[in-house]
Amino acid sequence: MTAVSALQAALAAENAAIYGYGVAGAYLAGSRQAAAIQDWTDHSEARDTLSAMITRLGATPVAAAAFYALPFAVHDSRTARALAAYLEDGVTRAYLGVVAVDDQRLRTFGALAMQAPARRAAYWRGSTQAFPGLTSSDR
Amino acid sequence: MLVASATTLPLLLAASGCRSSDAFDGPDPLTGRPSPGHDVVVLQAAISAEEALISLYVTATATASAGSVSAGGPALFESLLAQHGQHLARLRAALVLPPGTATASPGAATASPGVTASPGVTASPGAAASPGVTASAGAEGGTGGRGAGHGVLARLRAAERASAAAGLRRLATVDPALAQLFASIAACDATHVAALAALASPP
Repeated sequence: MTAVSALQAALAAENAAIYGYGVAGAYLAGSRQAAAIQDWTDHSEARDTLSAMITRLGATPVAAAAFYALPFAVHDSRTARALAAYLEDGVTRAYLGVVAVDDQRLRTFGALAMQAPARRAAYWRGSTQAFPGLTSSDR
Repeated sequence: MLVASATTLPLLLAASGCRSSDAFDGPDPLTGRPSPGHDVVVLQAAISAEEALISLYVTATATASAGSVSAGGPALFESLLAQHGQHLARLRAALVLPPGTATASPGAATASPGVTASPGVTASPGAAASPGVTASAGAEGGTGGRGAGHGVLARLRAAERASAAAGLRRLATVDPALAQLFASIAACDATHVAALAALASPP
């Protein structure tokens, strides 16, 4: 995977997360809704960072889709939290792809960037995972 | 018929004006075992650091069982300890050494997926490869008070933070697949820091 394609994949995951938090947030209240709003803001900032990096590499950042198919129906607080965890897992996995590129600075960037979504996923799931970002086939 | 042993071969080669490296392709068989590759060295350091972290948790779990941390402490410590056991198993599985090569840390405490607390296990000598990771979580545990519990939590948080930072340093120069494993473990360590912080400051 090239540096640009890895960054584009991370950007696509961030775009999906921004959309998904818009859905999840509608079913949350109180401190959980505040957390979802903060996470939405963090993903928006990460999107801007990735877009700038991709542009500096001479490529055009992938645009967000107008609509994303949700992995499951979201209709209450429980499913909203499950969606948030699902979105964060996807972002974590995408940044782990950046860790596999040859450029050492990008590797470190990807490894650092995946820590925030891993933490957020643990918050929404209510438990930590041994290998954030790695799929079961990677282990 | 000439039979050359490892002892006589250098003499024969010297007498003929040759070095052993002139007679064989590849690594000189007379200069000893080749030094381990960079990834192996880095992986061995990561294994030692993980072992030290596990020893710290084992001690902390024993302290927590004595009632010096808040109610959720023992269960959390055991959960995080189990995940470190998974890390260690995965790191060891990634380490491929030639037959007959010494293992990374022969005196290390064992840990595998599903590892359980064993208060008697202590850190192996020289295993503290990660800054801040030492097997002293229970040093204040004798009092059994809340102060001791906070000391344990602070040490575990510092050790997890140091472990995550060490993982980031290691991943820059290794094979991509190994880099991803280090990054994933570092991310897990970062989630542990947050979980321990939440235990120290419940909402």
